[in-house]
Order: sequence, then C-alpha cells, then structure tokens
Amino acid sequence: MKDLKQLAFEQKNSISLLIVMSVLRGAAMIGQAVFFVLVVDGVFIKGRDFGEITPFLFGLLLAIIVRSAAGYLIGRTGVDMAAAIKKQLRLKLINSFKEDPLLSSAESHSGQKVSLVLDAVDETDGFFSKYIPQLIQSYIIPIMLLAAIISQNWTTGLIILVTAPFIPVFMAIVGKRTKEKADEKMDQLNRFSGTFLDILQGLTTLRLFGQGEKQKDKIEESSKNFRDSTVDVLKSAFLSSLTLEYISMLSIGIIALEVGLRLVVFDNLSFFSAFLIMVLVPDFFTMLKDFGSAFHTARGSVSAAQLMDEEFSKERKQVVWGETELAEGKVPHLSLENLNFAYSPQFELRDISIDIEPYSKIAVIGKSGSGKTTLMHLIAGLLPIKEGDILIDGKPREEIDESSWFKQISYISQSPYLFAGTIKENIAIGADRETSQKEIDEAAEKAGISDLIASLPQGYETGVGEGGRGLSGGEKQRIALARAFLKKPTIILFDEPTTGLDLQTERILQQSIEELSRYATVITVAHRLHTIRNSDHIVFLENGKVAAAGTHEELAANFEPYRNRLPLPQGGATR
Amino acid sequence: MNELVQVLKLTLHEKRDVALAIIFGMLAGLASVALLASSGYLISKAALTGQLTVLIVIGACLKLFGLGSAVSRYSERLFSHRATFTMLGNLRVSFFERLSPLAPELYGKYRSGDLLSRIIGDVESLQNFLLRVFYPPIVLLLVFTGTILFTLYFSIYTAILLAVGYLLTAVVVPAYFAWRKRRRNWRTRESRGALSAEAAEFLYGFRDLKIYRQLAGKEQKLAGLAESYNEEQRNEGKEEVYSQSANGFIALLISLAILASGAYFTAAGELEGIYLAMLVMISLGVFENMAPMAAFPAHFEESRKAAVRLESVVAEKPREKGSDELPEGLLTISAKNVGYMFPNEQRPAVEDITIDFPAGSKTAIVGPSGSGKSTLLAVLMDILPARDGQVLFNDVSAEEFSQESIWRSLNVVLQENHFFQGTLRSNLQIADPSATDKQMAAALERVELGRFSLAMEVEEKGQNLSGGERQRLAIARALLKKGDIWMLDEPVSSVDSETGQLIYERLFDDHPDKTFIVVSHDLTGLEKMDQIIVLENGRLIESGSYDELMRSEGYFYGLKEIEQQVMA
Repeated sequence: MKDLKQLAFEQKNSISLLIVMSVLRGAAMIGQAVFFVLVVDGVFIKGRDFGEITPFLFGLLLAIIVRSAAGYLIGRTGVDMAAAIKKQLRLKLINSFKEDPLLSSAESHSGQKVSLVLDAVDETDGFFSKYIPQLIQSYIIPIMLLAAIISQNWTTGLIILVTAPFIPVFMAIVGKRTKEKADEKMDQLNRFSGTFLDILQGLTTLRLFGQGEKQKDKIEESSKNFRDSTVDVLKSAFLSSLTLEYISMLSIGIIALEVGLRLVVFDNLSFFSAFLIMVLVPDFFTMLKDFGSAFHTARGSVSAAQLMDEEFSKERKQVVWGETELAEGKVPHLSLENLNFAYSPQFELRDISIDIEPYSKIAVIGKSGSGKTTLMHLIAGLLPIKEGDILIDGKPREEIDESSWFKQISYISQSPYLFAGTIKENIAIGADRETSQKEIDEAAEKAGISDLIASLPQGYETGVGEGGRGLSGGEKQRIALARAFLKKPTIILFDEPTTGLDLQTERILQQSIEELSRYATVITVAHRLHTIRNSDHIVFLENGKVAAAGTHEELAANFEPYRNRLPLPQGGATR
Repeated sequence: MNELVQVLKLTLHEKRDVALAIIFGMLAGLASVALLASSGYLISKAALTGQLTVLIVIGACLKLFGLGSAVSRYSERLFSHRATFTMLGNLRVSFFERLSPLAPELYGKYRSGDLLSRIIGDVESLQNFLLRVFYPPIVLLLVFTGTILFTLYFSIYTAILLAVGYLLTAVVVPAYFAWRKRRRNWRTRESRGALSAEAAEFLYGFRDLKIYRQLAGKEQKLAGLAESYNEEQRNEGKEEVYSQSANGFIALLISLAILASGAYFTAAGELEGIYLAMLVMISLGVFENMAPMAAFPAHFEESRKAAVRLESVVAEKPREKGSDELPEGLLTISAKNVGYMFPNEQRPAVEDITIDFPAGSKTAIVGPSGSGKSTLLAVLMDILPARDGQVLFNDVSAEEFSQESIWRSLNVVLQENHFFQGTLRSNLQIADPSATDKQMAAALERVELGRFSLAMEVEEKGQNLSGGERQRLAIARALLKKGDIWMLDEPVSSVDSETGQLIYERLFDDHPDKTFIVVSHDLTGLEKMDQIIVLENGRLIESGSYDELMRSEGYFYGLKEIEQQVMA
C-alpha cells in the first residue's frame, strides 16, 4: 500500500486541496451544528423572536453551502487525482511493454498484459478516489470535532478518547477474522462461480451429447451453494459492522447519560453546550465508520498494485544501437560471431557463428525447440545479444542506427499479423513512407493478391480486423509478401510455413522469395527440401547450437542426422 | 425499463427474503430516526425538569433504539444479500434455458470467448439491481411514511416539508441524474473496448510493428485511447460526486427549512419548544438514510444496460425446424449446393457444395487452412444452418428433423472440445451416463490413454491435459456414445502422427460399417478412405478415391507433393 500512497502524495496540488477542503468541511460541520443549536436555544430556552434568530438561519445556510461545496470538491479532487494517476500508470505500462524486447517473441502472455492495462489500473481507482480523500478527512475532521466538543465539556471529550480507539481496534480484529473466513471459503466460492461459466462454455458439447437439459439443475444447485457460502462469509462482515455500530451507539449512550446528568442533576452544563455535543458526537463516529468502509475498498487496489509492480520491476536488457547509418539499397554483409543468448537457464543459444554474404540464401533447419526462431529474432535485431557480436558490414551492431537497420529488413513469419484496418493499410504498413496507389497495386500484383482484392466488393478498402479474420492462412501470407515487395528490403527473414497453404500461395511464395532474393539476402527457417537445396548455406541447429553447416551436398554426404531427416524420394511409401 | 421487468420478476420469485429485507430495512431506518429524536427530546426535557426518572426512561429508550437499529440493519443486510444471490441463481437458470437452444449456432458464428465473458459480467453486475436499485426507494418510502406520520402529530409543516424532501431526494433528483446519465450516454464502455482492442493489437502485433517502424505511432494511438478512456471515467466519476453532493445539499436545505418553520412556530407559540430539538434531529436522522439514493442513477443505468445486453444475446429466435425424428440406422448424407456465410463477412465460407456421403462410407475432407473444411462439417452436423442449398439424410431435408434427433446419431469430435471441471469419469459420462468403469477404461485404452485413472481430476477446460490428450479424450468420449455417424474435425492434429494413425486405424477397424466424415489437415494415411474431397476457398474442387486423385495429378496431387517435400 506504500507505493500507492506515495503515488497519491506525489499529487501535491490535489493533496493540498484535499487538506484545505477537509478543514473547511470540518469547520462547516461545526458551524452547522452551532447555528442549529443557536436557533433552538434561542427560541426554546431564551424565548427570542423569530426575527432575532434569523441571522442564525442565514449563518446555517452558509454553513450548509460550505459543507456541501467542500464535500463536492473533495469528491471531485479524488476523481481527478485517480484519473491523473491512472493515466500515469497506463502510460508507464505501455512504455514498459514497448521496452520489453522479449515481447516480440513471447506472445503467450499478451492477454494478461492487456488486462494489466485495463483491469489492474482500474482497480486502483478506489484507492485514490475514495480511500485517500477519506483518509485525509479522517485525520482532520474528527480532531476538529473533538476540539469543539472539548471546548464545551472536557469530560465528554474524555469519554470519546477512551471509547473511540475501540473502533479501529475492533475493525482490525473483526476484519482479520472476516478475511480469514473469506480465504478459507475462497476456493469453494471460486469453484461455484466457475460452474456457470464452465457450463456455458461447454454448452455445444452438452447439446451434442444430449445433456443440455440436465444442466439446469446443476446451475440451480451451484447457485444455491454459492449463495449460502457467500452469505456465510458476509455474515461475519456484517457482524463486524454491527459491532462497530453498537460500540458507537454505546458511546453515544454513555455521553448522553453524562450530559444529561450534568444538565439535570449538577446543573453545570448549558442547554446550548449539551445540545451541541449531542449533534456533534454522532458526526464524529460516522466519520470513523466511513473510514472503515473506505479502508475496505483500498484492499483490492493493493493487490492490483502488486501485479503492476511485478511488471515494472522486471529486468530488461535492451538491444543496443548506435549512430552509423547504413547505406540505403546496399545489401550489407552480415557476420555472427560467437553469439550467445539465453531466455532462461533451460534454453539458450550458444556459440553461433555464421557468415552471411550479401545476396546469399541461408537456410536454418532443426527440430522445433532447437532455437531457429530465436536465432531469427537475434539477427533481426529484436533481441539483445548476451555475448558475441553481430557485424554489419564489419561494424558491430551497437554502432548501427536502429532506424536505418529496420529500413533494410522484412520479416515474414508463419502467421503474419494483420492489423484492424483495410487491406490497403495493411499493405502500406510495409513502407515507412507515403506510398502511391500504383506502388501498392504493383506490390499486390507481385504477391499474387490483386485478383482476390479485385473480387471483393470494397476492394482495397475491405476491412480485415482482429488479427485478420476472414482471410485464409494463404491470403495473410500473401499480404505479408506484398508488404515486403513494397518495402524492398535488403535482408529478408522468412519463416517458411510447414503445411496448410493452398497451392497458389505455395507457388507464389516460391516465386516471390526467388524474386525478392535477387535484390536481397534471404535467411529462411526452411521446411521444404526444395528451399533447402536451393540455399547457398545450410545451418543445422540442435539444442541451441550449430550442429553442422554447409551446402546440401556437403551435409548429405557427411552429416548423418541431416540425411535421416530428408524426405524419401517421390513415390516412396508413406513415412 | 422493460428489460428490467424480467429481472424484477426473477427477483420477486422468492418473496420471503425480499419482504424480510424490506421490513428490517424499514425498522433499521425508523429506529435510527427514533434514536436521534429521543436524544433531541432528552436534551430539551432535561433542560426543563430536574426529574431523574425522565432522564432514565429516555436514556433507556436511547439504548433500545440504538440496539434495535443495529440489529435490524444486520438482518436487513443478511436478507437482502440472500435474496440477491437467490435472484442471481434464478437469473442464471432462466438465461441458461434461453441460451441453450441457441448456443451451438451462436458459438459457431461468433467468437464465443468474448460473448461468454460479457454474459458472465452482465449477470454479475445485475446483483446490484435488488440491493441498490429496486429496494432502497421502497425502504425509504416506508421510513419516510412512518416518520411523517409521527411528525404530523406535532407539526403539520414539518410533515409537509419532510414529504417534499422525500420527493426531491428519493424521486426527483435521482430520476434527473438517471435521465442525465442516459442522455449523455457515457461512452465509457465503448472507449474501454477500443483501448482493449488496441492494446491487444499492440502486444500481438508487436514484432511487425517494430520491424515496420510503426511502434511509436501505435504507442501514441494507444496513449490517446487510454487518455480518452480515462476522461470518460473521470467524467462519470464527477457526475456521481455531483449527484451525491446535490442530494446531500437538498437534504440539508430541507432540514434548514424544518428548523426555520419550527423556530417560527415556536416563537409564535404554536409549537411547544420542547419538540423543536426533536423535530430537527428527526429531519437530520431521516435524511441520513438517503445515502444509498446517491448511487441510484449509476446503478440503475448499469443494471438497465446489462439487462439490455443480456436480452440481445438471447433475442434471436431459435432456428425453426421440423420435429421429426431422424431414423435410426445407417443413412446416406448428401449436401446439395450447400453454402454458408458468417455474419459480418464479405465472402461465403463455403459455397455450392454438392456431394454424397453414402451410408457406411469413409470420407476425408482436405484442403488448405481457411478453405472451409470445418464450416462444411458444422453445416453437415446441423450446428450451422445451410444458408443456401440443403443437407439431406436419406433424401429428406435436415430441416425436417429436430437437432436433438440428429445429434443423437452423431459421434462428434470438434477441433476444440470442452471438458468440464470434475474427473475423467464425470467427463466421459457426458456421453453415456450409464457407462460402466470397465467400458470407460476400455475407451481410454483405445485412444492410448490407458495409463489415466478414471478418478483423475480434470481442471477447468481440461487445462491440466495437453492438447493431444484432450483430443484423444474427446475421441474416447465419442466412442462411448455409440452413434452411427462419426464426424471428426481434425481429431488428432495435436497427437504425434504415429499415435494418430493408430487411433484412426482402430476407429475404422472397430466400426467398419459406420459412416465417417473426417476433416484432416495432413494427407497421410488417406489411401484407405472411400472418398477424399478437396476444398479450396470454400469450393469443392476435386473428389475421388486416393488413387483416382493421385492419378489425375490435380490439386490433391499438388498438395501431396508439397507434403512429401517437407522435412521431418
């Protein structure tokens, strides 16, 4: 909770405003009570005219206005403060994602990260909009009220000082017990609430198996159990507020008795003082109880804050770049020297050394999990090197300008990502510049997608969204090719699809890579014999290491594991 | 408003808890008013007399009311929450009953993940309906009526002012803010959706964004959306504070008016001064009960929207179909010019497909990803309706048969099969509740899962099983069902190819006379099929036996050639 508090207190303006408004609200509360009592005292005890007490009524009106206005401003400030901090947190999260080089490879946790930006941040809202304003008011207003009460009758103040501390103490004890009970039942509660979702998710299955009808009873039953367990937990929570209420009632009762005795028996307290005390004391206890309920809201915020903290405190190693611009259009010479990289102790790439001549075709092969994709990411400049060097035209990557490098490369993955937008936008994203329709047409033509586009009623303006639903795997692949044709890269990283493409895309893919390779170096994670054979250099990865390298003939002649993995010649028996 | 009537009906389904909650709510409210009233009276009385007895009597009243208020409040909370959870249970059941006939088609058409989490969220948010929308105004009405009747005895003006105050703070102001809220139609939810979509895109498309140098632009867009979502939230928060403060202010003004009128009549000698303090305390106390009304507009609007959204999910009428029973035994299934297009898409997923699946034949559907294989199978299964053309069973249109009777004959394995939280046994028994342990163990054996015990726990969605294990378990489940027609959608795509082939072989060997329609992503082992149909872009472009297709050197041959090129 400390970090959240720190965040709140960094909002100095809001905090000062809250303090000022709390003081004002406290003063108005006292003023309101005083004027109330003055009016009653005036007409009832002192027997004044209505005209004589009119000024008090105006005073009361003023106090009411100030009290409401201050309350309104406190609420507003809380909302503003929450908005400002939530904005700050969201930007910080987005930025931390951007800085995370591993993000380009680890897609699995993206869902959690989205929920961090939305849900976790939203959950902190209550802390800033409710808890902090209440905290400040609870520090200030009860003390002011207490001072006013003591000024009238110090013994009442003493009773309050003795009884009031029971409230936070009990709150803590009962709160802890409730929490224990809730934790104890948590498992059960989660299971019940999961049942409904589970059944809804499996509704197709249930219907196909003719079991839909029976589930009604199951839902009914789990809902009943859920209700009973929840009510059980709530019972102890309600019991805590019952206790609190009772403690404050008891104190008020004691005070009333004390005030009454002084008023009646000892006759040493004026009606004004006695009435004022009786108006102020309930306010005092209400303030304490409000704080208790605000404290409750703050709890959820804290666990959300912890989630964010984990994200912020992740160690990140950035890819290092320099200033030297690469010559545009010139295919660079790449050289990997003793590269090392590790995600975790379980997986690493070790001692990778490959020399990549301009315009050459490199094939990377190996079993899944051997590190092919990681190697591609390293070459692409998406992951930081742990040890070793990537030399670009003889210069270490650390000296090369990031932008000028990315201008040179294209990465065509097995499942290219299509952004929500039109087909045209999705092709144009390939070029980091203004492009004419003609250029886009040409790129689409070369990637064999123009017929498809022409067949769509909205043509280039057809929306493809949410990861490009509505396009087949082959069509997505061709859009990615169009991006590359538009960009005219000098280095192409290509993750060859295994199967599942249509014949047309297969053909286009081969032709296109052939065409693109005339102007570029092509590094392929290859699965097809044809591609592998046509490469100038084959890198065989095994467990993160280069097990063998050379041409097809060399490997076929000298490297057993390579030979074993070659497909059988046409017409042979099934594998 | 109409949407909420349905929810209200479900709420009142079990009246006892609701009634008790209202009664205790009223008692709690009245006791707290009485507490303040007696303390006001006590002070005044004490100022006038020196009698200790009066003091003691009133002091005892004070305690009694205090205790009564606290205990009633406790009971009120208990019963209102009980009633709420009962209502939620009823809501779930009633929603389930309406969703159930629609579900397979609905889930097939839309991404069901989003749909379901929305449903769950909306059902949950309706828990505020009883607690914060329906019953606070009723309780307040009762509390105010009681209080007004009491004050009537002392001062008619106080009673009138209280009535006016009630109307303003419980009816006029909340209604005004609810109306304002509806008119402004906060876009919070929409902007949240936009932010969520953009954040997902930022994360999933990260690599492409980085390589294409679009990261900065996208980040800016994301920051902009975060900002506008924030602004919506801020405005909504401010509106709530505004509504709260306005209500509180009006309540204080009414108290002021009661004080002023009371003071006026006391000064004029028409009201006994001893009651003045009491009446003022009553007005302060009764409006303290008003606090829940401040949150009313927000909760009202939220409940209404949730009800509307839930309604829209189940608003679709179930497809009208005949109620004939599909005949038992072997059937020839035929597709005649079958076509299907998903909502919000521009091209049909399958188009103009005509093919026969003779009784007892074994057919493989193959083709590239996105060619419409699964969609065709879903239409054949009657999960999705044929938009064009028709599916026939023994030359009778599938439209004549009830879905239940069609599904009774099918043994289905989908690409993603749902498993329920429970045990392997409970999941297998979905296929046949009367299956014995021996039968179930035998089924597991057939899919090479013999090492699993039937008592093994299955977590939510079967997430403690691997993809391949889930697929094999789905086949075992189908084995227990004993339908005559097997429809399998890539049933072994995550199983290693050797085991996959083994399972296929056993399936075919064990059921030589049953009909099989299998969508397959790989082309191995298709030699034994009676026919293979090849789809591309939703169209049937080739069909025939393995040998026929290989001989004709067409599309299938091309695909096969590529597959053989792939390195192991």
